[in-house]
Amino acid sequence: MFDDLDPKEFEETAAAVVDACASADDAKARGALLGEAGLIGVTAPEDAGGLGLPLDFAVPVLSAAGAGLLGFPLIEAVLLAKALAPVDADLAGRIASGETLATVAWQGRAEDGLVAAAPLGQEADHVLILRADGSAVLAQTGNAVTARAVPALDVDAPESAFDISGDLTGPVLDAASVATLQREAQVLRTAFVAGSSDRCLTLAADYAQDRSQFGKILAANQVIRHRLSRDKLAVSTMRNGLKRALKADVEDADLAIEATWLGTARAGISVAESAIQVFGGMGFTWEVPLHRHLRQMRAQSAYGAVAQATEGLGDRLIAARTNEWYGEIEHVV
Amino acid sequence: MTHVDPKTEGATPAAGSYAAKTRAWIQANLTDELRTDRCLDPGATLQQKIDFEAAQHIGGLTGIMWPKDYGGHGLTVREHLEANREIGLSPMPNAVNSIGKELAGPIIMAVGREDQKRDLLPKILKMEHIWCQGFSEPGAGSDLAGLRTRAEKTADGWKVNGQKIWTSGASKSQRCLLLARSGKPEDRHKGLMLFAVPMDSPGIDVREITSIDGARSFCEVFFNDVIVDDANMLGSPDEGWAAATRVLSIERATNRMYRSWRFQSEIDHLVMGCQSDNRTYKILRGYRRELAQCRIDVELLKGHVEALVDDLLDGKEIGPRGSFPKLFWSEAHQRFAQMAYEIVSRFPADSNQALRDLKARMEHIYLTGRAETIYAGTTEIQLDIIAKRILKLKKAA
Ligand SMILES: Cc1cc2nc3c(=O)[nH]c(=O)nc-3n(C[C@H](O)[C@H](O)[C@H](O)COP(=O)(O)OP(=O)(O)OC[C@H]3O[C@@H](n4cnc5c(N)ncnc54)[C@H](O)[C@@H]3O)c2cc1C
Repeated sequence: MFDDLDPKEFEETAAAVVDACASADDAKARGALLGEAGLIGVTAPEDAGGLGLPLDFAVPVLSAAGAGLLGFPLIEAVLLAKALAPVDADLAGRIASGETLATVAWQGRAEDGLVAAAPLGQEADHVLILRADGSAVLAQTGNAVTARAVPALDVDAPESAFDISGDLTGPVLDAASVATLQREAQVLRTAFVAGSSDRCLTLAADYAQDRSQFGKILAANQVIRHRLSRDKLAVSTMRNGLKRALKADVEDADLAIEATWLGTARAGISVAESAIQVFGGMGFTWEVPLHRHLRQMRAQSAYGAVAQATEGLGDRLIAARTNEWYGEIEHVV
Repeated sequence: MTHVDPKTEGATPAAGSYAAKTRAWIQANLTDELRTDRCLDPGATLQQKIDFEAAQHIGGLTGIMWPKDYGGHGLTVREHLEANREIGLSPMPNAVNSIGKELAGPIIMAVGREDQKRDLLPKILKMEHIWCQGFSEPGAGSDLAGLRTRAEKTADGWKVNGQKIWTSGASKSQRCLLLARSGKPEDRHKGLMLFAVPMDSPGIDVREITSIDGARSFCEVFFNDVIVDDANMLGSPDEGWAAATRVLSIERATNRMYRSWRFQSEIDHLVMGCQSDNRTYKILRGYRRELAQCRIDVELLKGHVEALVDDLLDGKEIGPRGSFPKLFWSEAHQRFAQMAYEIVSRFPADSNQALRDLKARMEHIYLTGRAETIYAGTTEIQLDIIAKRILKLKKAA
């Protein structure tokens, strides 16, 4: 049914809409533009106002969002428009159209009375709150769930925390759907960071071919060229890894997705840091947008719990016995 | 005690698949002497390794994509990939004749005459001809186009004079894939020719060089008025360089396709070895983050390999993108080797046999791994290629 559609086509649409969003007044206005273009509901089922496309169609959309410093919680909205459809198709449809702004509090549990790391939480109508049993509630913001400003690194979609007082009401996602949502979040974040770091690389490569010192352009120096080559390798690694992880016949999809996300999160940050170095003093200014890329990628790393997940992967690795060729080695631990 | 757990069984390939066939073959034929995770003294002899490799061809593990007319199995890159996954996961030794199978063979297939293909290709797979690669010279390493070995036209063929160096396996080879020039050194890329030179030709002198791991594999090869028949010229004069670079770019994508799984298998060995003693398991725990990073790299490497396979299947040019997997793999694998070396260097003196074997293997991987960022185009050369041909960075305003 998708034979005539190509994720690549979404790239251009997405880039154009993200461009248009730059001059929109606020997150709500951006939501309307994104919703109208079908970008929020890209993977949501058609009967809930979505396009019903597979996950790889969301990749160019989030990539464009990362590149364009979109001030909108698009990762969260895309995930919720899809996950909520079977539970509350009406609300899912309003999220997909951009009419309702929904976000996710990636840190903390309802039982703590405080959840955090919710991008654009201050402006959100709904927030998904995780619970200790693995399920989650999409609560309306306001009475029992109030946003609290917190110091935020990301300046384009600043995060907030939420105080919870009283019982949570709203549609519930069971533990299995939350697990799927978390897994798909890794895919979307990878795409977002790939787009963001790719933009940093382009900015740095352009600058290095424009700025001259010692009578020649910066890019005439091999140290600069090699730095940019390494950054190019990093960005290609993200894209190729993600493409493989989303293939139907991939060996171990969960591992491929998680590994690609964890590798991308670290590499993306280092590409942004590298670009700042290439810009010299200019790179340290507020005006040059590299710091905004760095900030949003750092924020994604925190939302995606990269440090903890890497340790978790390490724990699973050292306990595993996955290769039968070494099965004869005694196992005492 | 043999420990079987569900995860191990989960990794078993589907019955009847090419992968399952490959795994069964390896299980039946990989002897303890040949296994790289057992450090037997003496280990397998060169002849045993050659016989093992010839048997692999009969067993369907090599020559998978080569046409049947030339001794191959006439299958697709899919079967090649499936078999290589199994080869990589196992502790099989590296091929003695990888230059023959991964470099000379594809070049002959691309530019050779029909009679050359029928003659030379099956001999590679049957291990009748082990090949070496005579490209690098003392004065022409990264700057290969600066090579000086001359091929002069004579009445009955070509007369070759010059010196090659770092020629892996030259002392055990029957044929050399020789890159020489027919014109002047100033011609650089022009006038470079490829030959299939019999290593027993009069005037060839081979001297082994001891490498940092103590092995005597790579060599200096001297050519002193060596006569090479016209019949042993590969492709037309002038075509040598173009053919070599074209083939090399494809080869960077497809050769040693088992590499990501071999890397994975080395991690598996490190982990499962350390599980054999509480003390080494404790050491391993201290490296869980670095270990996770290595496993992440393996997954990312598979992404690079598959991207190129997809492009090949779509008939797209690989060109400079072959640099991505080479660069990524060599550096990631060196990081793993450094970590593994550090871990095994902390093993207690009274370690069990499994740990002693593991230590020896990881030390060997660490030392030989230093070459990975040097051969097949150094890291610096790969970075130059990406800057110039992929990023297309200018050097002047
Ligand atoms: C184990 C092993 C096996 C090999 N097997 C074979 C074989 O079978 N056949 C064969 O023909 N060759 C073989 N080689 C040779 C290999 O291809 C060369 O070693 C390689 O191309 C580098 O050349 P070189 O050693 O002369 O180093 P050089 O080219 O002298 O380089 C020395 C250092 O300078 C750097 N450098 C060089 N040029 C530049 C530049 N423009 N910018 C920045 N840095 C630069 C290099 O990256 C390197 O770090 C083998 C090498 C090894 C280590």
